[in-house]
Amino acid sequence: MPENAIVTEALTKNFGHFTAVDALDVSVPKGELFGLLGPNGAGKTTTVRMLCTLIEPTQGTANIVGYDIRERAAEVRRQIGVVSDGVSLYKDLTIEENLKLLATLYEIPRPKAEVRIRELMDMFAFREKATRLVGALSTGWAKKALICAALLHSPQVLFLDEVTSGLDPQSAIALQDFTKKQCEQGVTVIWTTHYMGEPEKICDRVGIMFAGRLVQVGTPNELKRRVSELSVVEVETPALSEAQLDKLKSRLKELAQVYHVKYADPRLEVSCERTDSLAEEVASALLRVGARIRAINTKDPTLEEAFIAFTGGEEEIDRFMESAGQKT
Amino acid sequence: MSARGFFNDSMAVARNEYRQFIRNRSAILISLVVLPLFFTVSLGAGQGGAGTTFSPTAHIPIAWVDEDNTLASYRFWQSLSTSPDFRDLIQGYTEQGALAQLGTKRIYAVIVVPNGFQNDLDTGTQARIILYTDDSEPGVSDQIQATLTTYTQNFNPEVQVQPYETELQRQSVAGVAIVAKGATFAGFNIGLTTVLAIVQIFAGFYEIAGGISKEREDGTYARLLVSPISIGSIMLGKTLFDVVLTIIRTFTVLGISVYGYGARPNTDILTLLALSLIVSLITMGLGFVVASLKLGQRAVVIIEFFLILFLFAFSGLIIDSNLLVGVSQVISNLLPFSYAFDALKRTVLLGRPLPTLTFDLEYMIGSIVLLYAIAFVVLHFSRERLIT
Repeated sequence: MPENAIVTEALTKNFGHFTAVDALDVSVPKGELFGLLGPNGAGKTTTVRMLCTLIEPTQGTANIVGYDIRERAAEVRRQIGVVSDGVSLYKDLTIEENLKLLATLYEIPRPKAEVRIRELMDMFAFREKATRLVGALSTGWAKKALICAALLHSPQVLFLDEVTSGLDPQSAIALQDFTKKQCEQGVTVIWTTHYMGEPEKICDRVGIMFAGRLVQVGTPNELKRRVSELSVVEVETPALSEAQLDKLKSRLKELAQVYHVKYADPRLEVSCERTDSLAEEVASALLRVGARIRAINTKDPTLEEAFIAFTGGEEEIDRFMESAGQKT
Repeated sequence: MSARGFFNDSMAVARNEYRQFIRNRSAILISLVVLPLFFTVSLGAGQGGAGTTFSPTAHIPIAWVDEDNTLASYRFWQSLSTSPDFRDLIQGYTEQGALAQLGTKRIYAVIVVPNGFQNDLDTGTQARIILYTDDSEPGVSDQIQATLTTYTQNFNPEVQVQPYETELQRQSVAGVAIVAKGATFAGFNIGLTTVLAIVQIFAGFYEIAGGISKEREDGTYARLLVSPISIGSIMLGKTLFDVVLTIIRTFTVLGISVYGYGARPNTDILTLLALSLIVSLITMGLGFVVASLKLGQRAVVIIEFFLILFLFAFSGLIIDSNLLVGVSQVISNLLPFSYAFDALKRTVLLGRPLPTLTFDLEYMIGSIVLLYAIAFVVLHFSRERLIT
């Protein structure tokens, strides 16, 4: 059985009466790329901040490579690298100057630090931008600079919190590939995101967080299998009006538990509980509201659809987002 | 963490502060040029305008030396001591004994009634009294002299107690002239004491409280907190860099004051530097405490202006702290800045050696230790609040 890099037990964080993270139990083996998936306000960043020792848990415990985050915080900090929205580099310094500062703080001997900085600058093709101030870098390059800083001291655990937000698709893909390589070299990565497609592509396992709770953990395929009771009906039905769509939603609710209805002319997607004659019933409902049907078929759910099902449906997510917005 | 690691981290923070500073033109301009120039030039233009004529004399301890010992000198004593303006006239001093006490803050002036006082009055010649004042307290000296002048003009040796005379009586009184004696300071010595302190307070407070606030807003404070550096190292690193800026500012202010406005401080450069650093360290300690309040940079600037106004009122910058009454004096006595301004006056104006100001030094150093200890504790416990 592989050794765990991260173990949390009943890890909880309250901000006043608001529970941001609620009794989180999770174990992440060394070298795993673990995705934390959830909407904004689900508790992902708070979880990362607790594990990074930036904030103290209200209850529960967590260990990072064997060190308790409360009792051995300084040791934990030596073992982790963090890329998160609130953790930045000095804008008035060059990337190299930032890295030199961090090398001193991580007590990396100067010759070794110089080699490592050169290595990272080459790895991220920073050589030409070595003399540019971090504040003058584009979003993509600034993000790469943050990753360089997080990797400088060769951490055993890397926290990448919403790391692809603001990146162009090519940079995001390059970053995903790079992260996979890090895991192959034994680094444990926690990858948090609210983009549903990302963990499906790169993560070994995914934890779905919702309202501070970890509602499901498994490989992307396992999660999808667990929602095998879920069906997605795809229909090509052009020029559906708002009124038709509203009528359709209420008719569908009479037929089965509907989690999600998405319409982008001409494509309609209905995620709902699997029933024997689902496609026929959706087609019949569409015809009743006067819609034209060009094609119809059923398919297996994606991780996004699974996420919606696990979190109690679209309306539940909307309610949560609203209340999370009020609390923040 | 080892002591060496702690110090290395602090030096790394100090170097980092330096690198950021030299790339920030507005910071260089404000910290090293605008603040020292603005304060020194604006006060210098008034040639020691830091003083003020407002100074009630009622509770100022003043030594009374009567060498005439006549009825007239007794009446003069009586008219002063029963008046509402001189309630703390102290008898029993010899002239030499009283002069030795000037500058120690036990007494602020000496009034000597010389031999022949009554005789001069009797013969219709102008009688003299001699007034020595503690010139390190310009407001106090001026006020004593001004008030005393009123009493000499109104003095009637024929009247036993006569604080409020009629116009008729005043005309019949023979004149009494005051011969004022005391050290004469170069024009800008008094201004120098004020500027030296104010510049360090203005700059030091913003550099620390505003600096941490900026780091917090930029996310670099969180960057430091996820690394193994301790809060103590961050504080020491920032302090070390600010000490360098303090030294530069001290020389700038001193240069302009001496070469531009003719200040001639009665003390050596090391004393001035030491006092500048003490003022700066007190300010930095306060800055670290304020930094833990999770304020934005704008709020720090607002607090800074309130702090300066507060110090103008309570720390002896304009109104001597000994002249304050009630709660104001309690506040003044608690403020470490009051002792710093006092020490600056004692050294720059009167030339007293810094080590002899034992209580001032003890209070200031104690305050620095206390403020840094409080700052360390509150920053430690504000860790979470400052990054969320």
